[in-house]
Amino acid sequence: MKEVLWLISNSLRSIIKDKKRLFTYLFVPLIGILIGIAAYGNTGPTTMYAGVVNHDNGKIAKDTVKFISGINNVKVTNIDSSKVRDQIASGKLDCVIILDSGFSKSVMNGDPDHIEIVSIKGASITGFVKSYVNNYLSNVASLNKAAGGDQAAFQQMYDQYKASSFKLEGHSLKDTSKNNDITGQTIGFLIMIMLSSAGGLSEIIIREKENRTYLRLMSSPINSRIYVFSNVVVNMIIMFVQILITLTVMTKVFHISPGVSFWTMVGVLLIFALAGVGLSLVITSFASTTASAGAMQNLIMTPTCLLAGCFWPVEIMPKTMQKIAEFLPQRWLLDTITQLQKGHTLSSLSMNISILFAFAMAFFMIAIYKFSRGNNVRNFI
Amino acid sequence: MNVLEINNLTKKFSDFIAVDNMSLTIKEGEIFGFLGSNGAGKSTTINMVAGLLRSNEGEIKILGKNIANHSKFAKRNIGIVPQDLAIYEDLTAFENVRFFAGLYGLRGAELKDRVEEALKFVGLVDKQKSLPKNFSGGMKRRLNIACAIAHKPKLIIMDEPTVGIDPQSRNYILNSVRQLNEMGCTVIYTSHYMEEVEEICSRIAIVDHGKIIAEGTKEQLKAIITDTKDIWVDVKSNENLEENVIKEINGVNTVQVEDNVVKINSQAEVSNLNKIIQYFINRNIEIRSLEEQAPNLETVFLTLTGRNLRD
Ligand SMILES: Nc1ncnc2c1ncn2[C@@H]1O[C@H](COP(=O)(O)OP(=O)(O)OP(=O)(O)O)[C@@H](O)[C@H]1O
Ligand SMILES: [Mg+2]
Repeated sequence: MKEVLWLISNSLRSIIKDKKRLFTYLFVPLIGILIGIAAYGNTGPTTMYAGVVNHDNGKIAKDTVKFISGINNVKVTNIDSSKVRDQIASGKLDCVIILDSGFSKSVMNGDPDHIEIVSIKGASITGFVKSYVNNYLSNVASLNKAAGGDQAAFQQMYDQYKASSFKLEGHSLKDTSKNNDITGQTIGFLIMIMLSSAGGLSEIIIREKENRTYLRLMSSPINSRIYVFSNVVVNMIIMFVQILITLTVMTKVFHISPGVSFWTMVGVLLIFALAGVGLSLVITSFASTTASAGAMQNLIMTPTCLLAGCFWPVEIMPKTMQKIAEFLPQRWLLDTITQLQKGHTLSSLSMNISILFAFAMAFFMIAIYKFSRGNNVRNFI
Repeated sequence: MNVLEINNLTKKFSDFIAVDNMSLTIKEGEIFGFLGSNGAGKSTTINMVAGLLRSNEGEIKILGKNIANHSKFAKRNIGIVPQDLAIYEDLTAFENVRFFAGLYGLRGAELKDRVEEALKFVGLVDKQKSLPKNFSGGMKRRLNIACAIAHKPKLIIMDEPTVGIDPQSRNYILNSVRQLNEMGCTVIYTSHYMEEVEEICSRIAIVDHGKIIAEGTKEQLKAIITDTKDIWVDVKSNENLEENVIKEINGVNTVQVEDNVVKINSQAEVSNLNKIIQYFINRNIEIRSLEEQAPNLETVFLTLTGRNLRD
């Protein structure tokens, strides 16, 4: 115990001494809040105004416009193509969707084209409209591929899809308030940052091995279990502080309510943090150099965060991707938070919590198994 | 008392035997030299003593206690100076020693005193606030030693602590080994430099293929080879020299050419000096001087292992 405290206090001291690292650990997580606010707006109306210029008379074009108006918080007006610049520049419209003639046909042909989305506020604002429309169009296009040119068959499938998809989208967007969106975005970013902080753990351990200080540690009365445990504790402390700072700044400085009680949120995030540390230990046990650990980390963390919906609602992704996302701890964390925002109690979410725990435990088991098998001290002495 | 006792120790890496049924006893107050060419198994043995590697067979006792059951006790009493530096580049000299000494449970004023003592011992007191990245190679090695001695171990194990450093730091380190020894430390010292081992070690073991093939004081080791003699011939030019032909001469064991000196090891009882001289005269190689060497550890090593200590 005395040794554990010695290792922990020394690690924390050297983190505090390292101003650059301290800054990254403590302030970078806050960027998530800013991105969230930029993406969802913090003042004024929550409604987004979209203009539509429809040069295509096809059925699909009409349905597409209907689909866009069906998205929550989006108001659609039909405008003339000559007014696009004016309306956008003056800020009356947030974006304009232009459907040129040939649009319906191109979708029918399985390769959506002749569509353009114009805005000046940058991708963050129109990004969601874009992803919704893209998803919609690619679904329609794939229906057509499935029909294999059979017009009647396509028509039937299309009608069915329309009925179901409109209902689904309407449902998933119904109770999504602006605050929940900003919270989602902030937490998504926090997840990413926490995972990379946890990745810092694996780097420290591997660097220690590269520098052979690890073996000097092992020749002292410390064993590898004590050493790894101390590093896990240090990491949990760092992530705990990151969570506290992010949530405090979000609620106290920006007055964004996450829709979940503060400490419930902290608790749920901490369980996820444990899984993050476990994952990074797995990486540590497999990687032999800091470079390969970094590569593995990038290879695993960024794509899984994208897939799990850290940066956009997971509902906009194709069904197969959503299925894959169910194997990611991030997905379970985000889902837990969403459920909590909808008013479910923590105890009714015990399944979600257990799954997060199971992820952490599985990662720890793999890491311990790998650690106990390696006894290569070749570089020492 | 026996500081270290190794009984029938064996270590295999898959089916390669790195340490082969080794037994060894080191008494308190010794400076014990561990000699062996590359891959002889020195480091593997030391790693097992330090508790970094598990043995396949045999037992290791530190101060009479088996390390299998008393690993903490053993580790507390050992200080290890690795061949490659094991220090933190982003901590100052003082912080480095302090961190490692703290692992042994030292705290507060006692910790500070010990750290200062260790730094003073290696002559780095006025550099204690500097980062090692600004240190010379010799200074880093001295810091490497300080990290291993602050907790006052009974047994200090040094693996080639003088590799690649300037003569001044080297002398400093050799002196500190002696000093540590005078202060009551038992030292295990491995080196590729025969002169160093000969200078400071009270007892020496020669290791080859994971086995100890000879052990004793340097006088005892040299006595092993009373049956051979060394003849050094200093020639003007070594151009027409054929080592193989000299080797053919009756009684000659080995022949080595170093610059203009031909080093011939030969059986003592065979009188072949005339024949050897005859060879040089026949080839028209001018002899500048010729002397018979008293046996040294280098020849002991060569005779026993058939190899040079350094390649
Ligand atoms: N982890 C390992 N896996 C496989 N073989 C190993 C391992 N460690 C050492 N060996 C082998 O065991 C033998 C003894 O190695 P060891 O490092 O003990 O030699 P040494 O006497 O210290 O040599 P040197 O003077 O070069 O340091 C070598 O042949 C080496 O290749
Ligand atoms: Mg070695």
